[in-house]
Amino acid sequence: MSTETAAPVQLLNVQIDGIWMQFPKGTRVIEACSQAGKFVPRYCYHPRLSSPGNCRMCLIEMGMPKMGPDRKPVIGPDGKAEIGWIPRPQISCAQDVAEGMGIRTDSPMVKECRQGVMEFLLINHPLDCPICDQAGECQLQEFSVEYGNGGSRFLEHKVKKPKNVEVGPRVTLDAERCVLCSRCIRFMKEVAHDDVLGFVDRGSHSTIACHPDRTLDSNYSLNTVDICPVGALTSSDFRFKMRVWFLKETKSVCASCATGCNTIIGSRENIVYRQTPRENNDVNSVWMCDYGRLNFHQLQSPERLTNPTIKGPSGNEITQWEIALSRASTELKRHRGDAVAIIASGSLTNEELFLTRKLGDALGTKLIDIIPRNAEGDKILLSADRNANTAGARLMGVTGGVPGSLLGLISTGLKNKTIKTLIVIGEDATTTLGEEIANAQLILSVSMLPNGTTKLAHLVFPSVGFAEKRGSLVNKDGRLQRLNRAIQAPGAARDDWEIIRDLLHGVSGANGIYMIEDVFKQMAASIPALAGLSLSKIGDLGVPLKL
Amino acid sequence: MNIPATLESKINEVITHYPVSRRSATMPLLHMIQEHFGFISDEAVTWVASKLEIEPINVLELVTFYPMFRRKPAGQTHIRVCRTLSCAMAGSYALLEKVCKAAGIERHGHDHGNPIAVSKDGKYSIEFVECLASCGTAPVAMSGDDFHEKVTDENIKDLLDSTSSSATVPKLHPPHPREKRIVFQNIDRDGWTNDIDKYLVYGGYEELKKALRTQPADIVNEVKASGLRGRGGAGFPCGVKWGFIKYGGPEPTYLICNADESEPGTFKDRYIIHQDPHQLIEGMIISCFAVQANLAYIYVRGEFPEGAQILEKALADARAKGFLGKNIMGSGFDLEIYVHRGAGAYICGEETGLIESLEGKRAYPRIKPPYFPAVLGLYQCPTIVNNVETLCHVKHIVRMGGAEYAKLGRPNNTGTRILCVSGDVQKPGYFEVEVGSLTMGELINDLCGGSKTGRKIKAVIPGGSSAKVLNATERFKLKEKQPDGSMAEREIGFEDIPMDFDSLAAVGSMAGSGGVIVLDDSRDMVWTLNNINEFYAHESCGQCTPCREGSLWMKKITDRLLAGGGVTGDPAQLKTVADNIAGRTICAFGEACAWPTQSFLAKFRPDFEARASKPVPPPMPPEILPEQLIAHTDIPTLHGPHTEGTHEVIAMAGSTSAADSAISAHEH
Repeated sequence: MSTETAAPVQLLNVQIDGIWMQFPKGTRVIEACSQAGKFVPRYCYHPRLSSPGNCRMCLIEMGMPKMGPDRKPVIGPDGKAEIGWIPRPQISCAQDVAEGMGIRTDSPMVKECRQGVMEFLLINHPLDCPICDQAGECQLQEFSVEYGNGGSRFLEHKVKKPKNVEVGPRVTLDAERCVLCSRCIRFMKEVAHDDVLGFVDRGSHSTIACHPDRTLDSNYSLNTVDICPVGALTSSDFRFKMRVWFLKETKSVCASCATGCNTIIGSRENIVYRQTPRENNDVNSVWMCDYGRLNFHQLQSPERLTNPTIKGPSGNEITQWEIALSRASTELKRHRGDAVAIIASGSLTNEELFLTRKLGDALGTKLIDIIPRNAEGDKILLSADRNANTAGARLMGVTGGVPGSLLGLISTGLKNKTIKTLIVIGEDATTTLGEEIANAQLILSVSMLPNGTTKLAHLVFPSVGFAEKRGSLVNKDGRLQRLNRAIQAPGAARDDWEIIRDLLHGVSGANGIYMIEDVFKQMAASIPALAGLSLSKIGDLGVPLKL
Repeated sequence: MNIPATLESKINEVITHYPVSRRSATMPLLHMIQEHFGFISDEAVTWVASKLEIEPINVLELVTFYPMFRRKPAGQTHIRVCRTLSCAMAGSYALLEKVCKAAGIERHGHDHGNPIAVSKDGKYSIEFVECLASCGTAPVAMSGDDFHEKVTDENIKDLLDSTSSSATVPKLHPPHPREKRIVFQNIDRDGWTNDIDKYLVYGGYEELKKALRTQPADIVNEVKASGLRGRGGAGFPCGVKWGFIKYGGPEPTYLICNADESEPGTFKDRYIIHQDPHQLIEGMIISCFAVQANLAYIYVRGEFPEGAQILEKALADARAKGFLGKNIMGSGFDLEIYVHRGAGAYICGEETGLIESLEGKRAYPRIKPPYFPAVLGLYQCPTIVNNVETLCHVKHIVRMGGAEYAKLGRPNNTGTRILCVSGDVQKPGYFEVEVGSLTMGELINDLCGGSKTGRKIKAVIPGGSSAKVLNATERFKLKEKQPDGSMAEREIGFEDIPMDFDSLAAVGSMAGSGGVIVLDDSRDMVWTLNNINEFYAHESCGQCTPCREGSLWMKKITDRLLAGGGVTGDPAQLKTVADNIAGRTICAFGEACAWPTQSFLAKFRPDFEARASKPVPPPMPPEILPEQLIAHTDIPTLHGPHTEGTHEVIAMAGSTSAADSAISAHEH
């Protein structure tokens, strides 16, 4: 019988600014300082990339135990090893802590080092703050205020380099702002596995470049914008759109594929301006792909459906919610069982899918499925499954082991006209089933944007986008994560879950569901995997489910 | 891209020199392509990338980093004139203008980004390059691959239509009586030739045979006992360096000969390479045996094209005689040595920069820790990097034994070393002496005939341009160990400074690479520092912030001082810049570029103050441009928010800058 014991973590004694602390072996010095509450400024160091040690901003004073003639540390009056301070400052980003190491992060020497490096970085830096997107989240600005010397004595001409270079389809390069930290080069090589960036020229004239035969077109190119500490690499999509200090930041999750990268939605006054990745070491580290990141512009589309419509002689006519729901109630009661089919989206939230299944049960039908959305995935973050919640759809019983397996039956039923009622929620059924859906007597569509289905639908209910709703999703690894509402939906559009609840109400009467938490309570009560959970318990980083 | 079959097969052969990584072959391929086509086209970049299975950007990174690679055609004859200190002192700036005139080249508008100027008829092109390592025969130039020394107005024609090179021509003058020629015993020797047969006749490769009969660890011990200190500039004890290598490790050990001689003022390795290559090779094979390296490289600077050819031939001859290859002379020791040419980067003289360059990358020195070459060197394996002269000394240590070698020179400063003297002396040149056997005064006056024009010596840079300058009027306190072991202090003038590592360090400078540059009192110290600053600004690799930004800033300040735009804060500001570089960088280039500024300011402050008398301009707009600082004698002083500036001082005749219109707007 074997007993498994975890390898003991060796703790090392390190003195930081006069106080002895302990850190696990393998802790980088710069991280140890952060953990001790002494943030060390840096440009080129990034915890997820290799450390070149070239910016020299993280210089600190370092010391090692003084060794006696017996090759053992000299013990001082405090019982700890006496520290012999190294006269030259050392960088803290490329070394791990060692037993008996001493670190000073705020000595006069360290202050001088930081002022010196700041001055050097600013002498050739263009005075672009008023027009630079990085303002407000720029480490040059931040460290200049904290550690700079506040004045310039540079009387020469600054070095000129290319500005506003389209280094990739989504990334703009301003070479004058670049501090040559090489984070972007290292990211493209080590994380994106597309070694496309490099340095050209030499000395003070060095710049970042792509070879002319290539471009920075990787699906991960915008992560270089995240990690660029200055405004050298900026998002072309976000360029000049909004000052970052005006952005409301909402923690959420990307809904463009089954990975569910954790995000921050940056919005202001109900407009989403950008998304950036949020750290989650169980999902996406600190990255996200460009496709998901930029997949929010449809929220601002002028085509957004803002009012319910009923099909009349002149097309879809705008009506009021009560009228539309009342009509839906009447029409839905006409048919039951196999005469009813429901096609849902694999990107709906768990709450929406749960209520969809309840609607299906209330109408007595088993013809309920999602439309699989598959495309090429990569080995980094992008999943081949472009539905954000296939796992949730399975969990809620909206789809089976093979998503979309019932679409064939539904297609036959529509062709034969045995299906009289078709409910499409969050999807465009015509992409898979074509115009044959027009055979149904009643097409009821819940949608955010007009599409092939809404054109043919008798009743259209305007719903909301991923940034406009609260709800939960399950990613491809079975992780339960939460969407948070960043902006209000336009016009009279309503949350999908509310619409489905109202449809359910119209079919089977009162259901006692008033708030979204009520939905989750019912889910948790009936689905073992969700037992004991609630929407708030999901937290910012999600919860792994036992599926 | 049409690569002829012969070139392609040569290329394929060269790639085999780098069994560990194809990327290492990038530089040799670029050299071969440039030799054939005259320049590196965009097509060539893509071709090399696909040939070596690397990304095109990785080839472009090198082409733009190493100045010897050009992306546009040069003239049929490409002339390189040296601009660094000793040649500049010998008139190379005026020489450049005269060569341009004679060749019909219009050089205006050419700067760092476009350094090669071509004549209209395409016959000639010219480039103002950094130190070509022959400062004793300044001014020097290259015409294609031909080397020309002491170029005067009279022999410009020979430069343009060169029919010969003096790189291998010995200077037939006997050594000075104060010299002790060991490493240089065959240099300038009457009747000596650089082929292997001559070398063998005079007992060549006997030390190798002797070494192969001993144990590698014994050789390391001999070198330790000898006290040999590196001759490349750092003076690090060679035996200690070798001692870091552990035998029998899982990774192979490599040895690299640093033949990148580029420190301004230094010109010694050149002669070993061109006139006595087998001494280097023998020393290198012995050293490889001592550290158990089976693959070694000679990294020779690109500006020694003949040197590279000579070394290639010498290696081939040595291989043919069984001194290289498998089971050398039945010893069981295998060794292959290949030549790798640099392409115009001083930073490749830094050992980790050299290693990066050998790996086919930009020569960015590595951070230490953790990349100590003896642990994580070439291809992340244990590596020893030694200077050319150091490796030659190893052969002689094997010959005479470490203890005997240690008797030469002075304690802790053992053996002989080659001193190179250039600048304002009557007889510049190289001298091999026992370390510390000469004082500065003896070197300059007895060996070099004293000051060139009878003028007083004003300053001496004793160890290559990176070394701190010494003021000839200074007094120094020298602590010396007495024969009875006690320490005694005496006060000396600069002429009494012994030329050894410890003494020069004690007087606040360094022995460095042994390149001594002498300046008489006709020399403008600001001009001198500016010439040196331009060298470092040009050679900075650009990797780390202080050196990249600071080296160019210091050059710009001294440019402005020279041109008459100095303001009162400038000397102090210049010192601050240098202080913020030294000690804060990845490699010693930081010290190398900061020490000249720090020392010139410290030793010759009045010279700088005299050029920095204009008032400090206000930082607020209208900003003052450097041209205005140079052109105008009065600068407007800072005005407060509610008062107007002083209108009358700027007479901006005819200029149209924004500053002018802002100021003239004030006046209306």
